[in-house]
Amino acid sequence: MIASGDPRHKSGQSSSKVGVGSSLFEVIQLEKSFGGIRALCGVSLRLEKEGIVSIIGPNGAGKTTFINVTTGMYFPDEGDVYFQGQNITGLPAHMVAHLGISRTFQLEELFSSMTVLENAMVGCHTGSRTGMFAAGFRLRSAREEENRTRGEALENLRMVGLEHRAADDVNSLPLGERKMLGIARSLGVKPNLIMLDEPASGLAAHEIAKLGDLVQKLVENRLAVIIVEHNMPFVMSISKRVIVLDYGRKIADGSPDDVRADPGVIKAYLGEED
Amino acid sequence: MKEDGRFKTNIPWLIFLTAIIVLPIIVRSNYIVSVMFFVAIYGMLSIGMGLLMGQAGLFSLAHPTWFGLGAYIPGILSARGIIPPLPGIFVGAICVALIAYIVGAPVLRLRGFYLACATFAIILIAQVVAAQLTNLTGGPEGLVGIPALSLGGFVFKTDLHFYYLSWAFCLGCYWFCSNLINSRIGCAMKSFHDSEVASQSIGVNVAKYKLQIFILTAVMASFAGSIFCFYLRFAVPDSFGFPLLVELLMMIIIGGVGHLRGPLTGTFVVLWLTELIHGYLGKIFPVMTSEVDAIFFGILIIIVLIFMPRGLTGWIDQLINLGRKLYDRFRGSTT
Amino acid sequence: MTLLSQIIQYAISGITSGSIYAIVGICWSTVFLISGVMNFATGEFVMLGGMLTWVFFDAGLGLAYAVILAITCTVLIAILLERIVIRPVRYPTEMTYMLITIASASVIKGIILITCGSETRTVKPFIEIEPINILGATLIPQAIVVTGVLVIVTLGLLWFFNYTLFGKALRASSINQIAASLIGVDVSKFRLFCFGLAGALGALAGIVITPIAFTGYNIGLMAALKGLVVAIVGGWSIGGTVLAGLALGLVEGFVAGFISTGWKDALALSIMVLFLIFQTIDFSRRRRKIFP
Repeated sequence: MIASGDPRHKSGQSSSKVGVGSSLFEVIQLEKSFGGIRALCGVSLRLEKEGIVSIIGPNGAGKTTFINVTTGMYFPDEGDVYFQGQNITGLPAHMVAHLGISRTFQLEELFSSMTVLENAMVGCHTGSRTGMFAAGFRLRSAREEENRTRGEALENLRMVGLEHRAADDVNSLPLGERKMLGIARSLGVKPNLIMLDEPASGLAAHEIAKLGDLVQKLVENRLAVIIVEHNMPFVMSISKRVIVLDYGRKIADGSPDDVRADPGVIKAYLGEED
Repeated sequence: MKEDGRFKTNIPWLIFLTAIIVLPIIVRSNYIVSVMFFVAIYGMLSIGMGLLMGQAGLFSLAHPTWFGLGAYIPGILSARGIIPPLPGIFVGAICVALIAYIVGAPVLRLRGFYLACATFAIILIAQVVAAQLTNLTGGPEGLVGIPALSLGGFVFKTDLHFYYLSWAFCLGCYWFCSNLINSRIGCAMKSFHDSEVASQSIGVNVAKYKLQIFILTAVMASFAGSIFCFYLRFAVPDSFGFPLLVELLMMIIIGGVGHLRGPLTGTFVVLWLTELIHGYLGKIFPVMTSEVDAIFFGILIIIVLIFMPRGLTGWIDQLINLGRKLYDRFRGSTT
Repeated sequence: MTLLSQIIQYAISGITSGSIYAIVGICWSTVFLISGVMNFATGEFVMLGGMLTWVFFDAGLGLAYAVILAITCTVLIAILLERIVIRPVRYPTEMTYMLITIASASVIKGIILITCGSETRTVKPFIEIEPINILGATLIPQAIVVTGVLVIVTLGLLWFFNYTLFGKALRASSINQIAASLIGVDVSKFRLFCFGLAGALGALAGIVITPIAFTGYNIGLMAALKGLVVAIVGGWSIGGTVLAGLALGLVEGFVAGFISTGWKDALALSIMVLFLIFQTIDFSRRRRKIFP
């Protein structure tokens, strides 16, 4: 599952097309700056197939920017993003979602004017194609599709264990359930790759355990999961591969044990030793 | 996307529909019928605006312009004998849809207040254009010589004819929009109102839906404008300007935008209040123009915005909820 | 009239009206930057300044007293507006503010219509000397007064915002309201001050222009819109607003002079729409969020 060698070398010299076709998701030399601040400088990453990859790093290391750039929320300054052999650099976010990459948000970003079920149903947006006229005149096709979407949404809610709250208002959910609903919503896209932005932050221990089970279940359903997290024990227990970002640079990439022993990582987290 | 039984949700609908059909037969007052005609016309406009603002969160103020274009295009075409009135209405709607597309594609990229400013400017620009192109539109004096609207051999002459025509269109628009709100597209609209980034992240093409809903409401306003124009057989740039916008905003704010029935309720309340004000205060103030109305409605808007931010319908819903809670508590304490 | 004298004539009238646009634009931007309120009643301050001066002048007061009284009254109205209309809003969004100020503007306008009538009004020029002849174009003295007021207002505000403690505090709170309130700045007092300032400046603009362009109960909307155009195009800064105001005045002057007066108002608004749209275009292939 871990890419052999450093992908930077591969893409740096030869055409960036080489070796891309086989991997699920590949990021090559991604650069992004905001004003004078370089949020990402030359980050590369390669995912062969499903599995869990965690991205960790101190505050401001560019973790969320990484998600934003790879899912089309921002346009990168340099570099390319490939997904299933297709160059998706700079595609608008909704197109990226159509292709099968979905994400959650640090602050959940749930749709607060809707119920839990409706949130999950909007998540299934890409799977339906009722147009404005069919919807407005409430044609048979529109009703059938709505029923199907409702079924899918309930299925996704069941997956994260929220089906009993389907009819509730989103604002009545506690934080743990909000995070779960965010995942259920993004599952509606039927993704091949799902990026979770700080899914465990603010959760209690039993909720984190539930989250871990859910992530394992997602991987069993042949999904690739990229987790951006602060919570080290959670990350170390769940993932086989950990990537460390610091000041927009990738400073380590390997198994949890390797990363833990890496002097660069220790320096980034604990500061310079004198 | 509600799962209520269809029959249950249809009952208020049927009552409302019957009331609209039966009203002119019961009251037999030309005055009431003509005011209710205006309720339908303005209702089509305010439903569209309520849909844009409340559901999609787009503060587009260009509705008076779509209303005006809907009046002028079929008016000019039929006054010159190019296209008869009835097909003219639909030609007008198509033209408005095209213009709304051309205007909306760049303008809808703006957000919040800037969208409001740009669309507000469009109203005034359109007014200047209508007043300046004297050869085409008749200039500030207005467009005259518009023929009567006729369907087959039937000519729409009386207020009653226009009453039924306008309510048919208005209820059609209401039905279409309420279906739309409860559909996948309506939910997508609400979603980008709540959080645009999240909406994009699950594959909602925000720009496309903004444009679609913008065009839809423009076409609704255009229908209203066409009927209005064939009712008055006259069109003048001043009736599609800032005063109309304030009136529409008033209807939406007073009614509330949480649900489609809000704007329609608001339209009803505002128009009948205007009639009341004119009836009683016309004797006190020598000049009774729409600008004097604006004092009362301005104060009303301020009060509503401060004390019931969700409008009359939102306020009534709150009261009903409160009443239900009290009732439950009362029943709970007795049993 | 030769072409040269025509050009000079249109430039003079352009700079005169441009000065007014600039002052109104500054009214918009002070209120918007510091309180986040899009104040559509700005134009009514201009109208009130002119109308109240006429009212007091007509009642037999001297011009200087009339001017001072008119400014004081407008400031009081602006402060009242902030206290009884803006402050009580419980769910403040920029749209609520916008709608509530539009409503307040219609109320002010309607009251002036009832009390002062719908006729246009004017007062006598402030300095009574003969018009000056420049290469065949006439420069009326009041135009000098208008431009002079703009210069004084601009320099005064620049000094105020850059060299006084209070002005600096205002600027700081416009950058980050929460941080400003955390270090003990009373943000709500600032908002009140800004409304008062906008009232005073708006009234001043309305007063100085009254001898040239007649005033009436309904001039507020156009004045407000021109100011808004200028503030947006000028990027909400004082310098930018003044430049944009003068530029807009000149363009309008030439369009009105050489083409037609009818299209003048549409021109300013078209410039604003095009400017706003232009800002959303990405030239560097980067998709940015212009107005988050």
